[in-house]
Amino acid sequence: MKKTREAASGPELAAAVRGLLRRRGVQAAADELARRELRLGLRRPTLAVYDHAFHFIGGAQKYGLTLTSAIQDLFRVTILTNRPIGQREFREWYGLDLSSCEIKVVPLPFFEKLKVVHLDPSFVTREVENPFHRVSRESGRYDVFVNNSMNEMVYPLARESVLVCHFPERRPKSYFYADDYTRVVCNSRYTAEWIEKKWKFAPHRLLYPPVDMETDGAAGPKKKIILSVARFEPGGFKRQREMLAAFLRLCRARPGVAGEWKFVLAGGSNPGNAYLADLSDLAASAPAGSVELRVNIPAVELRALYREAAVFWHMCGLMQEDPGETEHFGMTVVEAMQNGIVPIVYDGGGLPEIVDDGINGFRVRSTAALLERTLALMRDSGKRTSFGRAAEEKSRMFSRSVFEASARTIFSEILESLRSAAPPARDR
Amino acid sequence: MNELEKEIQALKDELDRKREEIDDLKKLAGREIDRTFEAPLEEFSDRELDVYLKDELSAINDLAASRPDIRAVASARKTLGRPIALLKRKLLETTFIQLDVFLDKQIKFNKQAVTLLRVLHRRLTERVKALEDRIAGLEEETVLLRDRINEIAARQK
Repeated sequence: MKKTREAASGPELAAAVRGLLRRRGVQAAADELARRELRLGLRRPTLAVYDHAFHFIGGAQKYGLTLTSAIQDLFRVTILTNRPIGQREFREWYGLDLSSCEIKVVPLPFFEKLKVVHLDPSFVTREVENPFHRVSRESGRYDVFVNNSMNEMVYPLARESVLVCHFPERRPKSYFYADDYTRVVCNSRYTAEWIEKKWKFAPHRLLYPPVDMETDGAAGPKKKIILSVARFEPGGFKRQREMLAAFLRLCRARPGVAGEWKFVLAGGSNPGNAYLADLSDLAASAPAGSVELRVNIPAVELRALYREAAVFWHMCGLMQEDPGETEHFGMTVVEAMQNGIVPIVYDGGGLPEIVDDGINGFRVRSTAALLERTLALMRDSGKRTSFGRAAEEKSRMFSRSVFEASARTIFSEILESLRSAAPPARDR
Repeated sequence: MNELEKEIQALKDELDRKREEIDDLKKLAGREIDRTFEAPLEEFSDRELDVYLKDELSAINDLAASRPDIRAVASARKTLGRPIALLKRKLLETTFIQLDVFLDKQIKFNKQAVTLLRVLHRRLTERVKALEDRIAGLEEETVLLRDRINEIAARQK
């Protein structure tokens, strides 16, 4: 009945939209028109998902695109990027089929002039015009706008907007629009805590990242490998250097225990990374075959490493009091746990949400404690097996299927909300 | 396409045209979107303070070489304003010639003070980092030594 009544009110619709155009401007009028179209079932709702770093491989980008993949049947989806990128890359990097989504590039001349690879929002100060306003303008063309960037300088014009906050890097200052989004989703309790501290509001939903590094069948026999998987950040805050130095000290001081063990550091890097060069120099001083640096390896090789490794080290956050330089969640730690690897991680950031100390791994606050726990595991294969099983059990909490189900719940609520004028409730 | 759909399409085209005509995002949003925020220094982490300090130091550096600007001298009087302002400027210029000798020394001092602050800040940061590394190394050595002692003790039992 409703459909018939609205369908019969074409002139009334035009009058209502033009009235809004006069009183509240273009966006309000476009929103009303879009709402009525959806109520009449004239088209599928549209959704744009944006990240200024989609042209890089990254955990946050994987999160955003897995989210997109989970909801692509609910919306007509456009992936917004600032640099050209294709479906092929998304398939190769993350194993995701996003072929039903359109990809649209919104160039940002400000960054093109700077000739930088990474479009760093911190280059944008109050003194310059906000280059991300181009994306803000584009956001108004969709029913739902999802900002997956660590960049709250994009003002959301869509009627429903979601800021996926991987961590509140900036404090509110110039061009700060995080609280203009209708919903804020965060990736860990740690991130939620810092959103409240820095931005003074509570996020709406917690959605742990999707992790899908499970073994295809039973995990094979473990080898004496300590694995670290983390990006080789030029600033070194993933702490590979400290871990490598500790491992070398271990090899020198306790060759009888550590002699058969190998330390493999895997991760992505840009060309010309001085930090990585420094690590290579340090690795060259290790006993032959005891240290391997595996840079930008394909997923299949990484899976093989996860299958074989017995112990996982992750010390991001060590000697760091800045909350932004501590792990906000720790996807690679979950990947390791899914493969029955015993994690020894830094006791800070989002890592305590993943690893329960002494139950399914260990949390430490220094490289000395890291070595202490490692020596105990090196000596006891039974302990490695039992802790590995417990780690695998815990990791199920963060599987891709759990993530997809939660994402669909959130976006089904948004679909409902699109058809009404009621503001969303904060439910955290 | 029925009448309603045609109407909707026409409205969409009209709104798209209007959208393109608007340059200012504020106008598109239909409200003021920018605000000013205070920097809560007491909540800052070391890294945030470090960035803040660097910004502040560069601002101080600009101020270190500041001199009085006679272009700002003016008079509010209608008729006599211009000659009065001219007279004031001449008087100030004469005074500033005398002041310049003193100011040059002051500016030199200011600049050296800023440079010193910057060097001290960098050196202290490096020293703290080196000390942290040394402590971490010593802690590791202790653990490894203890492990070796325990092993020897176990062998002797």
